[in-house]
Amino acid sequence: MYIRTSLPVFVLLILVLTGCDRCNPDPPVAAPGTAQMNVELSWGDEAYSLEQVEIDHNGYPVRLDNLQLYMAPVAFRSEGEWTEGADVSLIDFSVHAQHITSTLEAGTYDAVRFGMGLPPEINTDIDPASYPNSHPLSVIGSAGMFWTWSSGYIFVKYEGKYALETGTQLFEPVSYHCGTDASYRMVTIELTEPFVVAAEETASLTLTLDAAKALIGEGDAIDLAVDPVTHNGQGDSLGGRMMDLLVDAWKISVE
Amino acid sequence: MAGKRLQIGLYSLALLVLTGCERCQDDELPCATPNCSPAATPYSLEIPAFFPPMDIPEDNPLTVEGIELGRMLFWEKDLSADGSMSCGSCHLPSAGFSDPNPYSTGITGAQGIRNAMAIINIGWSPTFFWDGRAVTLEEQILEPVSHPDEMALPWSEAVERLQNSEDYTARFAVAFGDDVITPERTTQAIAQFLRTMVSANSKFDQWRRGETFLTDAEFAGYEIFLREGGDPETTPGGEFGGDCFHCHGEAGLQFSDYLFRNNGLDSTFAADPGHALVTGNPLDSGKFKTPTLRNIALTGPYMHDGRFQTLEEVIDHYNSGGVPSTTVDPFMKYSSGGLQLSSMQKAQLTAFLHTLTDTSFTTNPAFQDPH
Repeated sequence: MYIRTSLPVFVLLILVLTGCDRCNPDPPVAAPGTAQMNVELSWGDEAYSLEQVEIDHNGYPVRLDNLQLYMAPVAFRSEGEWTEGADVSLIDFSVHAQHITSTLEAGTYDAVRFGMGLPPEINTDIDPASYPNSHPLSVIGSAGMFWTWSSGYIFVKYEGKYALETGTQLFEPVSYHCGTDASYRMVTIELTEPFVVAAEETASLTLTLDAAKALIGEGDAIDLAVDPVTHNGQGDSLGGRMMDLLVDAWKISVE
Repeated sequence: MAGKRLQIGLYSLALLVLTGCERCQDDELPCATPNCSPAATPYSLEIPAFFPPMDIPEDNPLTVEGIELGRMLFWEKDLSADGSMSCGSCHLPSAGFSDPNPYSTGITGAQGIRNAMAIINIGWSPTFFWDGRAVTLEEQILEPVSHPDEMALPWSEAVERLQNSEDYTARFAVAFGDDVITPERTTQAIAQFLRTMVSANSKFDQWRRGETFLTDAEFAGYEIFLREGGDPETTPGGEFGGDCFHCHGEAGLQFSDYLFRNNGLDSTFAADPGHALVTGNPLDSGKFKTPTLRNIALTGPYMHDGRFQTLEEVIDHYNSGGVPSTTVDPFMKYSSGGLQLSSMQKAQLTAFLHTLTDTSFTTNPAFQDPH
């Protein structure tokens, strides 16, 4: 009798307990830490802010008005293993205090790697309208970086003005829009000192882009007066050249 | 007896488990926001195909009653000092909810300094006004009622007039939970109404949905729209296109990047510094918000100051490359001979722009004057 009346309660209890498993927290794991990568801009060795006039390698006064780029993904190496952090970040140097936050296992890291641009699987074939508006690939979040359905997103926008002589107004436009799958580049930087991420704490490092090196590097140089514009169209190698130059334009320091 | 105790114990345990489990549910509390009215009917906005999601403020959810109240207020002439103007007076349906005059004339006869922007798919815009001085729709709506050159009615008086209306107090009570009328609630209701003003049935939309065809001229214009501008001999990467897509891109089918640009209209900006008035940065001088191209054939005159009467004049301006200045956008081809579009190409581009006209939007009974 008691067994007969208790049986439904048993069954109910088992069902409830099974259902409730879904809302129980996962078993405890080691608490992660946070890596905050501050992204800054320089012209040569000096800190640079957009709209400052500097002199390029040809002696032309140049002023950058807009410098934006996608970084996707960011990864950190520890004991030979790479761990991916932030997946897609849009860096806009017109906004101060740009940084990329990654959640990592606590540990000591000795290298940083990041994609410059977007990997092919997210560059094309995904409708920007499918992202929430706060996402860096969304219609609004991409802030003018979406190109077309077929070519995807602009990876790097490097825009400004220059003049052929100092002391004159800067009227000549400079507009480098680098993109398409073939222009995606991976940058790997070995850290000169260990980057320690402690559990539940934030560790910072600073990644600095030398904007002057976008125009000159080992084995190549871009002359603003000869090649002031690229849209990475067919047969146009300028975008790829700038991406190659940008690979060597980064340095990093652990704070 | 022991069995009975066991049964009670099991029941108690089951109750405890069930109670505990309830804490894991993700149920939202009804009416958790300050202006939420339990009497109002939630309104589910349909997002058209290919459109991005619309961000609706948590403190101003759409309701059937809020939207209808907003529509009443949008067309309410009693929100102007002399009772002669409503918001709709400068945002005429026949002009794509913009003003067919270069500058709108307020109740005193004073004129504004910029062309009234078209209201269309405004719920997706992250900034408002030509210079971007408002970052929410509610903030934007707050300005014209009390502006001395527009409706010129102090908000305190506007609120008093609404409070003296039994109809409005009843409507506010249903929409916001009580009959307190404030400037904020008034702008919230109008904002709700404006967020429902969605256009997605132009010929271009129908073509994108596979429901119709573009003519040869329209399709050729679309291709020009999407091609890089300039002669490749003088403009690296040039494709003899219109270069329109950079700023009026089709991502999300809104035809605006919502950014601020100087499109080479002037070489000096003392008359209207534009976005620089908001940022204080001289290098934002002459920059204005990229407007949507939806219903562009209906919303002339064009540019922030309404200087161009026709789409042909607009295209001629871009074809010329514009005039140089320290802040002119690098997309403008002022230093390389302009776009160099032929007369036929310009006509094709114009034909394409006409495919963005949606008269089912401008004639939608839900958006017309209810008074």
